[in-house]
Amino acid sequence: MEALAISLVKAAPALGAAPLWAVTLLLMLASAGIILVFALTFEGVGSLVLRKVAGDIQARIGPNRVGPNGILQFLADGVKLVLKEDIIPAQADRFLFQLAPYFVFVGSFAAFVVVPFGVGLIAADLNIGIYYVMAITSLVVVGVLLAGWSSNNKWALLGGMRAAAQIVSYEIPVGMALLPAVLIAGSLSLQDIVRSQGGLLGIFGWNLFHNPFSFFSFFLYFTAAQAETNQTPFDLPEAESELVSGYNVEYSGIRFGLFFLAEFGDMFIVAALSTACFLGGWQVPFFNAAALPAVWGNLLSLGVFLAKAFTMVLVMMWVRWTLPRLRVDQLMRMSWKYMVPLTFVNLLGVSLWLLVFRGKGIPAMIASLFG
Amino acid sequence: MGLKAYINDIVEAVVTTAKGMRITARYGVDPREEVTLQYPEERWEIPERYRGFLHNDIRKCISCSMCVKVCPVDCISLESVRGADKKPVLVSYDINIGRCMYCGLCVEVCPVKSLKHTSGYEKASTDRGELILHFIAEDAAEVKARVARQVAEAAKAAEAAKAAEASKPADVSSDLSSVAAKAAKEEAAKPPVGEPKAAKAEAADLSSEAGKATVAEPKTAKEEEKKP
Repeated sequence: MEALAISLVKAAPALGAAPLWAVTLLLMLASAGIILVFALTFEGVGSLVLRKVAGDIQARIGPNRVGPNGILQFLADGVKLVLKEDIIPAQADRFLFQLAPYFVFVGSFAAFVVVPFGVGLIAADLNIGIYYVMAITSLVVVGVLLAGWSSNNKWALLGGMRAAAQIVSYEIPVGMALLPAVLIAGSLSLQDIVRSQGGLLGIFGWNLFHNPFSFFSFFLYFTAAQAETNQTPFDLPEAESELVSGYNVEYSGIRFGLFFLAEFGDMFIVAALSTACFLGGWQVPFFNAAALPAVWGNLLSLGVFLAKAFTMVLVMMWVRWTLPRLRVDQLMRMSWKYMVPLTFVNLLGVSLWLLVFRGKGIPAMIASLFG
Repeated sequence: MGLKAYINDIVEAVVTTAKGMRITARYGVDPREEVTLQYPEERWEIPERYRGFLHNDIRKCISCSMCVKVCPVDCISLESVRGADKKPVLVSYDINIGRCMYCGLCVEVCPVKSLKHTSGYEKASTDRGELILHFIAEDAAEVKARVARQVAEAAKAAEAAKAAEASKPADVSSDLSSVAAKAAKEEAAKPPVGEPKAAKAEAADLSSEAGKATVAEPKTAKEEEKKP
């Protein structure tokens, strides 16, 4: 951010009058605002698309009353959420009850900071990007547990407990499934990981096709991440049919809205991370976007990245309306007996592959055969 | 659990998931699969023998009160008085469709088939009173008063006829009595009743044509009955 501020001051000397830290702070606020607007828009439109996809898959129509074909439904929902009364149960722990939604929302929103939207479009290219995402999304557990506990409601508490158990369990396979991408790129920075997937191989430069183990680890990551972010079929903390709505059952109005936004934010984060780590991120196949002039390169790579990420979001919705919810013991068995060993085997496999073939993937080896 | 079973589990999970995903994908992309009916705009076709709201055609009704007796939930209430010709005249016929359970027993038992199930099923109201269908638009007291008057007139006419018959020789008497009867009839036809008020909304709602009929018919039916 500071580097950007320096270049901005250089480009526009009028800004030089202001102290550098002020310009930097302003830039930070501006980028945070842009990302927030993006996140809110995604969450709004996402909820509409989710319901439309649900309608299609379940052989019905979906929302079609508000605006042409129901496209304004999300605005109506948003207005409704904001205007509804914010009820705090009499027996609830008021302070924690009010605090919990912010933890959940911040935990999901803060992960947007390291999402590589384009060649230079990243709020902060942390050199520990993946580690940061893993760490900050854990904040969601705290919020969910707080919400469940402070509501003073048995269903909410059960939901919160389930969420804690589930998120903690699935963080291991998520981390292990992401590590192959880190190993291949040799860096924890998401931008470095994306850059390592470029080149002349097109889509075969992606980590997905690097070697058999990284191919599997994409699917392992995608599955485990859905579980970690409590998406259906792993939505046990919410489980409408058994826990009413789980940890957020006592929430109403905008506080409920924050939980809702966090859910969609998580959805995008999972899609964005799987895109960045396995599907080439913003890399345009057979084209070097970074070589274009800054504006066009960024726009092109942003478009490509969003196209890939939204496709992944659609796949998540597709999964969501297909698979029935697991039982708690099934969920835990899946994590500890299947996901964790498999991801470890995968990690081992990728490490050995990189050691044996000196970091070359199958497509690269085939390409070198033909010169 | 051996390694084989373990791997089998994984393969089975992947295969079944893929199967399910394929099915939902097919439904997702095929727009013809939509089965939603946009209800207020489109409606289901009503089956032929659908038991909707009850409707009593009071032109045909003979006030036998079989329906009242057979109704398991007592939703039909009927009141009748004896008319000038000794036949029962309906004073009021109400069906509380809020209570009706649509068993169809009343329709089955109706000897003249005046009580029928219609195809109507839409009736929402904020007042339970609105769920009571009145098949006779006139006020019960009015009908009673009118019938009582007619009975009294008929009795008077009969008495006059009898008196005339007693006082006059037999050959004239028949002539006179017929005149008296005619007068009585005209009296009755000149409606002392007043025009029955327009059918209540409920009746019109149910079936506007039948609703109108309920207004027009009782009078003519009674006039016919009054003919000696």
